[in-house]
Amino acid sequence: MAAPMNPPSPCRSDVMIQAEAVEKWYPNGFQALRGASLTVNRGEVVVIMGPSGSGKSTFIRTFNALEDFQKGSITVDGIALSNDVRNIDAIRREVGMVFQQFNLFPHLTVLENLTLAPVLVRKRPRAEVELQARALLERVGIAEQAEKFPGQLSGGQQQRVAIARALCMEPRVLLFDEPTSSLDPEMVREVLDVIQALAADDITMVVVTHEVRFARQVAHRVVLMDQGEVVEEAEPETFFTAPRHERTQRFLEQIL
Amino acid sequence: MRKRSAPSPIAFAAAAASPLKRLQRQLAPSAADALLSLGLVALILWAALQLLGWAMGRADWAVVQLNSMLLLVGRYPLAEQWRLWLLALLLALQAGLSWGLLRAWPRADRREQARLWPRHDRIAGLLLALLALLLPFALHLAGPLQWRWWLLAAVLLAGRWAAGRWGQQLPRRALKLVAVLWPLLYLLGFWLIGGGLGLAAVSPGDWGGLLLTLLMASFAMALSFPLGVLLALGRRSSLPLLRWGSVAYIEFIRGAPLITLLFVGQNILGFLLPGGASPDRIWRAAWVLTLFAAAYLAEAVRSGLAAVPPGQLEAARSLGLSQPQSMVLVVIPQALRVALPAMVGQFIALLQDTTLLSLIGLLDLLGTARGIMANPEFLGHSSELYLVLAVLYWGCCASLGLGSRALERRLDPRSVASRR
Amino acid sequence: MNGTPWWRDRRVLPWLLQAGVGLAVLVVVAWLMTNLVRNLSAAGLLLSWRWLGQPAGFDLSETLLPFNASMSYGRALLAGLLNTLRVIVFALVGSSLLGLLVGMAAFSRNGLLRGLARVYVELVRNVPLLLQLLFWYFVVFLALPDGAAALGWPALVLAKSGLYIAGFADGRWQLPQLLASGWQAPVHLSVEFAALLTGLITYIGAFIAEVVRGGIASVPAGQWEAASSLGLHGAAILRHIVLPQALRVIVPGLTNQYISLAKASSLALACGFTDLYSVAETTLNQTGRAVEVVLVLLAAYLAIDLLISAAMNGLNRLVQVRER
Ligand SMILES: Nc1ncnc2c1ncn2[C@@H]1O[C@H](COP(=O)(O)OP(=O)(O)OP(=O)(O)O)[C@@H](O)[C@H]1O
Ligand SMILES: [Mg+2]
Repeated sequence: MAAPMNPPSPCRSDVMIQAEAVEKWYPNGFQALRGASLTVNRGEVVVIMGPSGSGKSTFIRTFNALEDFQKGSITVDGIALSNDVRNIDAIRREVGMVFQQFNLFPHLTVLENLTLAPVLVRKRPRAEVELQARALLERVGIAEQAEKFPGQLSGGQQQRVAIARALCMEPRVLLFDEPTSSLDPEMVREVLDVIQALAADDITMVVVTHEVRFARQVAHRVVLMDQGEVVEEAEPETFFTAPRHERTQRFLEQIL
Repeated sequence: MRKRSAPSPIAFAAAAASPLKRLQRQLAPSAADALLSLGLVALILWAALQLLGWAMGRADWAVVQLNSMLLLVGRYPLAEQWRLWLLALLLALQAGLSWGLLRAWPRADRREQARLWPRHDRIAGLLLALLALLLPFALHLAGPLQWRWWLLAAVLLAGRWAAGRWGQQLPRRALKLVAVLWPLLYLLGFWLIGGGLGLAAVSPGDWGGLLLTLLMASFAMALSFPLGVLLALGRRSSLPLLRWGSVAYIEFIRGAPLITLLFVGQNILGFLLPGGASPDRIWRAAWVLTLFAAAYLAEAVRSGLAAVPPGQLEAARSLGLSQPQSMVLVVIPQALRVALPAMVGQFIALLQDTTLLSLIGLLDLLGTARGIMANPEFLGHSSELYLVLAVLYWGCCASLGLGSRALERRLDPRSVASRR
Repeated sequence: MNGTPWWRDRRVLPWLLQAGVGLAVLVVVAWLMTNLVRNLSAAGLLLSWRWLGQPAGFDLSETLLPFNASMSYGRALLAGLLNTLRVIVFALVGSSLLGLLVGMAAFSRNGLLRGLARVYVELVRNVPLLLQLLFWYFVVFLALPDGAAALGWPALVLAKSGLYIAGFADGRWQLPQLLASGWQAPVHLSVEFAALLTGLITYIGAFIAEVVRGGIASVPAGQWEAASSLGLHGAAILRHIVLPQALRVIVPGLTNQYISLAKASSLALACGFTDLYSVAETTLNQTGRAVEVVLVLLAAYLAIDLLISAAMNGLNRLVQVRER
């Protein structure tokens, strides 16, 4: 799958995402990332936390080239992110993303939302994709809504459709940007349960969230970002009980 | 005079009261209003009586009867007119089918099943039937014209009934077929009208009347649509050259009156092409109309594009769709739904703008009518012609507006992503 | 990060696309321009402005600027421009008043008045302006009686020879009078001008009514209730509470309508009124100077549009500031 000009990276077997000293300036001159680094292993679940405006969204959006960056390097499953458009297309196929606002396509049915990309991008036969899509909807618990339009579903259901849509492309990595932040409290659990079930399936996931309980139960590692940098990286237990960094302590005081 | 904003408590109170009370609330909520209503009623009655008296008495409809074919198709050769009737028949059938299918397609904003003849449709169908029956008598049309007119109306209503009756059994995909049939019929129409490929050619100079008006309007609508979408995309592009190019074009066209642009088309286009190789006047005007409408349409589409949240494009891109795929499959369909009312507004304006063709000497509906008025034989009977023209234009424009509102209701408002 | 061929580099591609489009446009424009220059020089019509000073040889019926056939084309065009401006100013005031009244009538408690306002708007908006102008001129105004039979009240007389309006002349108030030579009055409008004004005012007035209606409807119903709970009454609420807030929405809509009014005034020749466009058309027919005449026309209308936009932007700023 790797673009031909990139030699397979030596650590292909276990490293999924390798971001090194990434720096990004927005067009208005604001520097959102100041040398952020992160390594995510295959099958690992990494939770990113941090104060608002610390660059969490910007950082994970660079992983599938929704944002460009000026310095540093990012490698996803052995494909180095460069400015080569072919390379970017390849990475986007392998990296799925779930957004805070769901971003389902409102003019397509739930089923069409799921099948659109696999049919067009992966060029798979429609019948086969539909079968898979229905299975995925079953798995996230909304099989009976397949023919409805997104506007007819609740927020929690919509977010579960969004997760199924990302899964339907069979990505190697799933990125979540605050998947439960715009949900009513009673719907947060149903979405987190779906994500947790996925974690058990060995999918590599990077999740930006403020849900501490979720982080403790599901994450292999928790990462704190502040002011465009990765400040602390630790196992959940250590992260929440014995953070090394003073900035992490302050952050935890605020949210706990 | 007292005024209130729309859903006033008064309206609710009125709904509960008896009919007489309701009438009193509507017409005479106060003494001053009663006086005003009385005056208005008198005025309306007087105007209606005047109009009726004129239409039944002084008006001489011979000017319309004698020139009905001229007004409809201009100087289109008599021997070839069967082609136009055939086309009209096909159009009526297609219109009826589309109407029926639109009804069979359940309304997205209501749970209830679609009904075969909802109230509005019964009224519209009845009106159509009445119009078809009465108009030929009222205008004393010639015999053949009369029964053709009836045939058209019958075919339309039959198509409407059949599609409404059996449309629901069709799969959803089949509905999309209607959208494909219209352009096909359009191309077929051009062939039938213009000839060639086995049919005798009829040069554009012989097209006239309502035929020319509808042809020019539909041609400009069809071609200005893709152009307008491209211009709108250009105007919202992040690439400065495309953006500024689109802005310059749109603002230039919107800054100039159409008549001056038609003037450019008639007088300067010939200089811009090599060796005087300039297309027919009619085609020149058609292209000017198209380029003109595109700029206005672009503004309508732009407002639609602005209403689609950026997250939609991001979601499409993160699924691996390419930029063009994302635009065509995700962003533009949503933008067009939002822009639909504004776009139809522009199409209505365009239909009205075709009357300006008469000012550059083309024989569209208005141009033909003015030619007839200038004929000494019909001197002093321009009012009759103006009235018929006004009714025709009003009917076309108002039905475009009605159709768009019906379509709008059928497209679920929730099917466009909302900004939070 | 290197090793990317430039034709696949996402930093280069946008520029490539722009360069391609730019080049294509440039080539087409250059081709059209060479054709233009070649064709014009073949016809002996290369761009020149000397004809502007030559005597026009045609007369204009109704001008603010004194004009006769021996004066230059330039002066004729200027007279036409002044006539256009005159139409725009009068129609602008008239259509605004009409639009405001009809727009407010849409909120009347009187159902009949509401219905009438609706009918007027739907009727006028769906019939082409050109048709309406022809109707007003040929069917209504040219059919007016003249002389003693003319319609009218003391202060306003409608006759086939024009509109006669009372006013101040020689320092005193004068009504229209019927003399042996016909009607006389301090203010006299030709039927052409009157028909054009009537047509433009009724047409644009309907669109302005819609703008006003939308503006008033955009004011939350709570404002009406709050005002009436303070003891204010219908008209006072509308004038002091609702309209000032509605203006925020109305003014930008008005700008569009005024600009479309300016453009619509170019249909004056349908009523036989000599505005800029009709002078330009005559000039073209006599001189054959198509390119120059078009340039004059486009520049003039662009300037008028810009003027209106600038004035309305100023007004808009005023309205929006008052809001705070
Ligand atoms: N398009 C943009 N242009 C300029 N600055 C931006 C842009 N997008 C984000 N920023 C800035 O970049 C910084 C990081 O933004 P980012 O959205 O990554 O933060 P975040 O950690 O996701 O915050 P939150 O928890 O609120 O989502 C913020 O200070 C923000 O103001
Ligand atoms: Mg964020």
